[in-house]
Amino acid sequence: MLSLIVFLPLLAALIVAVLPKESWVRPTAFALAALQFLFSLMLLSKYDPSTPALQLVEFVPWVPALGISYFLGIDGISLWLVLLTTFLLPVVIAGSWTAIDKRSKLFHASLFVLQTAMLGSFVAMDLVLFYVFFELSLVPMYFIVGIWGGARRIYATMKFFIYTMLGSLLMLLAIIYLMFTAQEVLPSRQMTANILELYKLDIPFIAGQFLNPQTLLFFAFSAAFAIKVPMFPVHTWLPDAHVEAPTPGSVVLAGVMLKMGSYGFLRFVIPLFPEAAEHYAWIFLFLGVVGILYGALVAMVQPDIKKLVAYSSVSHMGYVMMGLFALNTYGVTGSLYQMLNHGVSTGALFLLVGMIYERTHSRDIDKYGGLAKVMPIYTILFFIVTLSSIAVPMTNGFVGEFLILLGSFQASKFFGIWAVLGVILGAVYMLWMFKRVFFGQAGELVEDEKHPLHDLGFREIAVMAPLIVLIFWMGLLPNHFLKYSKVSIEHLVETKDAYQLAALDSEGRTVVFELPAKPIRSAVENVTTRVAGVEAK
Amino acid sequence: MTNLITLRDILVISPMIALLVMSLIPVLMKVFSDNKEPKPFVTVVYALLGVILAAGLTLSLAGIKQTAFSEALVFDGMAVWGSLIVLFSGAFALMLAFDHVETDSKQFSEQCFLMLGSMIGMLILILSNDLLVTFLGIEMMSLCLYILVALSREEVLSKEASFKYFILGSFASAIFLYGIALLYGTVGGTSLPVVAAKTGELLTNHNQLFYIGMAMVILGFAFKVSVFPFHSWTPDVYQGASTPITAFMATAVKAATFIAILRLFQHADPSGPSAFLAEPKFLTVLSWLAVLTMMVGNAAAVIQNNFKRILAYSSISHSGYLLVGVITAGFAPRIESSLAASTVVLFYLFSYSLMTIGAFALVAILEKQVGHSLTVDDLKGLSTRNPVLAGSLALILFSLAGVPPSVGFFAKFSLFGSAIEQDLYWLAFWGVLSSVIAVYYYLRPVVAMYMSESTERIELQDGFLTRMALVLTAIATVVFGLASSPVLQFVSESVLNRL
Repeated sequence: MLSLIVFLPLLAALIVAVLPKESWVRPTAFALAALQFLFSLMLLSKYDPSTPALQLVEFVPWVPALGISYFLGIDGISLWLVLLTTFLLPVVIAGSWTAIDKRSKLFHASLFVLQTAMLGSFVAMDLVLFYVFFELSLVPMYFIVGIWGGARRIYATMKFFIYTMLGSLLMLLAIIYLMFTAQEVLPSRQMTANILELYKLDIPFIAGQFLNPQTLLFFAFSAAFAIKVPMFPVHTWLPDAHVEAPTPGSVVLAGVMLKMGSYGFLRFVIPLFPEAAEHYAWIFLFLGVVGILYGALVAMVQPDIKKLVAYSSVSHMGYVMMGLFALNTYGVTGSLYQMLNHGVSTGALFLLVGMIYERTHSRDIDKYGGLAKVMPIYTILFFIVTLSSIAVPMTNGFVGEFLILLGSFQASKFFGIWAVLGVILGAVYMLWMFKRVFFGQAGELVEDEKHPLHDLGFREIAVMAPLIVLIFWMGLLPNHFLKYSKVSIEHLVETKDAYQLAALDSEGRTVVFELPAKPIRSAVENVTTRVAGVEAK
Repeated sequence: MTNLITLRDILVISPMIALLVMSLIPVLMKVFSDNKEPKPFVTVVYALLGVILAAGLTLSLAGIKQTAFSEALVFDGMAVWGSLIVLFSGAFALMLAFDHVETDSKQFSEQCFLMLGSMIGMLILILSNDLLVTFLGIEMMSLCLYILVALSREEVLSKEASFKYFILGSFASAIFLYGIALLYGTVGGTSLPVVAAKTGELLTNHNQLFYIGMAMVILGFAFKVSVFPFHSWTPDVYQGASTPITAFMATAVKAATFIAILRLFQHADPSGPSAFLAEPKFLTVLSWLAVLTMMVGNAAAVIQNNFKRILAYSSISHSGYLLVGVITAGFAPRIESSLAASTVVLFYLFSYSLMTIGAFALVAILEKQVGHSLTVDDLKGLSTRNPVLAGSLALILFSLAGVPPSVGFFAKFSLFGSAIEQDLYWLAFWGVLSSVIAVYYYLRPVVAMYMSESTERIELQDGFLTRMALVLTAIATVVFGLASSPVLQFVSESVLNRL
């Protein structure tokens, strides 16, 4: 089941790549993505929300000598992220119907490969397998930004690739170190990258000292994920990549790829290095707050709508990080919810910005004004999404931010107060931008009589509709979503110092991880004993 | 000790005999038909047959450890895989040379003869269990290469390159030989097991002559695999030589020499620690060489625009990575980890050869059309003109950059893995850091191919074998990446036969 979900997009990429006619590409891609989404909805019925265990597990040894396995599983933490990914793809394809006019085969194939990589990283429960998917996701995004991006696309895509690679290579060293530690410590005496086995490790930690295994590993992992999130001060690749990326690229980048970072914190950093996470939580709370305020302040002065939304991403992801490192149920739940919210509402914002950009080829706030008169439907949709972005009650943003603030106050009043200030700033920059674009004196682009602006067409409204529905659905009935994650999150928060997960396969049986049949090490040991025997003679 | 040559001795060198016979046939045909060049296709078929025959003989002999010629040669797991890497790189280089020959040379039979001759030298180098035989192997390999580099008719730079290579190579050989003499004086023999057995003792006694001798031998090797600071010939020679020969040098020569280096660092006593551990200074010096090689290679490649020079610097940086593997194998406290690290070096050599051959295949295809040495700008818009070539090169470059799930990633993963296992964290850290620099220049051609519009249209002529080489290697980078486990397992088991 999970393998199918992960690899169906790859099949779709192949199908799209060999289509004989360019004009067939978009309908086919959309149909495949929509089918994939419907198929992934089956997860909801298969998933049992009453247990924190890893479910629908698939386990096949891959490199037995090093304890690397093809190990997929899903729990309450990854479930919604998987569904968010499959949900956004058809939306993105429909939203970019007219935006991508060259090499659409390659574009849609890249999107599908990207989807495989993202889904893979959310369900991979083997560190090396996770790393493979995590890194693989860079390649299609690199092409999407680099081929279909704006004027400075090559600078942006190179920066994106190298930044992210730097972080993840540090994580790779940490992963290798962990695998060897497992070999020395675990009773099986085997190298393993199986995350459930690694959870059992008790990595030595000395508070206040930097050069000890847990602290170093913690920071190596954190570097990779913090760059991906991105946290202040390693966020600088994000505005560049967002501004240069084509609309669908921005939506996927903001909607899903950033979550791979925060998901990494939740899945790997906190349970693997609980003491270090607790001891250094203040750094992340602090950087989270700085990110919130800095992102908001910088967003306020942006003349470019897309850049404004990009900086609002930095600000929103700051909330996510605060919630995670509040390390209590409210905070973590809020974080997870905010990841989904951010995917929906920032995705929607990028789509809306893309729609107006297609009409005017400009994103300068100054050139707009009075848009509300010309494009009423667009204005209404934009307003709803704006409200969601500034977390007005009844929208999804409110639930997430409220839970995060609750959690942060519980963790630290000081940081909590500053975070609340961020909420106000968020309202300021979004509403101010809204006022300048939609009301007041009609701008040069709006009154341009040679190119009259048309309101949204049927396709565009259809693209936005599911997002708007979700904004209210998630805002009014959060329990519909949270009930699936509740047990998993509570389990994580309560037992994070000795975190363990059971693994159930698709029939609900407990999975036992078989040791590899013939590992290198034991072969070597045989040889050594043989040599020793020879010498004894 | 007996002077009789037994059948076993002949069997061990039978791959070399096969190469020799098959390389002679086209040349003899030429001699007996009034110096008329035989059809290139016939020549290349004979040469490839020779390589295949040699590979077959190597494989059929695999499985048992044998020594030959009074233990001057040793045939073990490492020899099998080393020979196969060399033979397979050589075969691809021959394929590239065949397509190149029509424009490049009227002496194709001689060129094939020299290439196979060089491969015989490499096989000797790989099998050698005695420093003098190693020297023979190096010289045989290099002498053929000096001529091969000069053979390119089109390239003006080739004469200069050949001369540079020859002068510097002769110095390196002389120093290497002097080192052997010093080792002989201190150890009392040139056989590698004898040297290894005495190393610990001599290092503990701080025998200065032994230090100098060992340093000179290492220097000689370092020149051949272009380790910093003996790397400066590499870009010039790689640029000057015709592309198939460059591919041959970048892969087969490197593989053979690195295996010879591994043999120098082998454990004398299977149960004891590495003899070199007696002198940590060697570890320090070699580590710095490795770090500087990686950094210099990668940093210098960033500012290059000539694609062959980029690949040359990339080859230098890969020497640095391989040196990390050699250090891990040489300074491992236990023989198990040393052999595991040797396996990793072999795997890395294999993956590196695969990717490098592929990259040079593309250079060979394109440079004929552009009419001058290929720059990154010449690649502009290749993805629209020829998606298959562009896609293959992109796969290879991503693999060189170490993006999973390619073979390049798994090679780096195992390499840094074995370094971390030996607590060589700093080496692994520097390796990772320099790989990030490398990402930049490996992606520049991708940017040119996919993200820039082409200014000119280049008609591609056919070169079937070269194209096949490119596409095959590109597919192999992914296939061997996903299936790295059985390959590693297989290789490690046969390497363990060394014991």
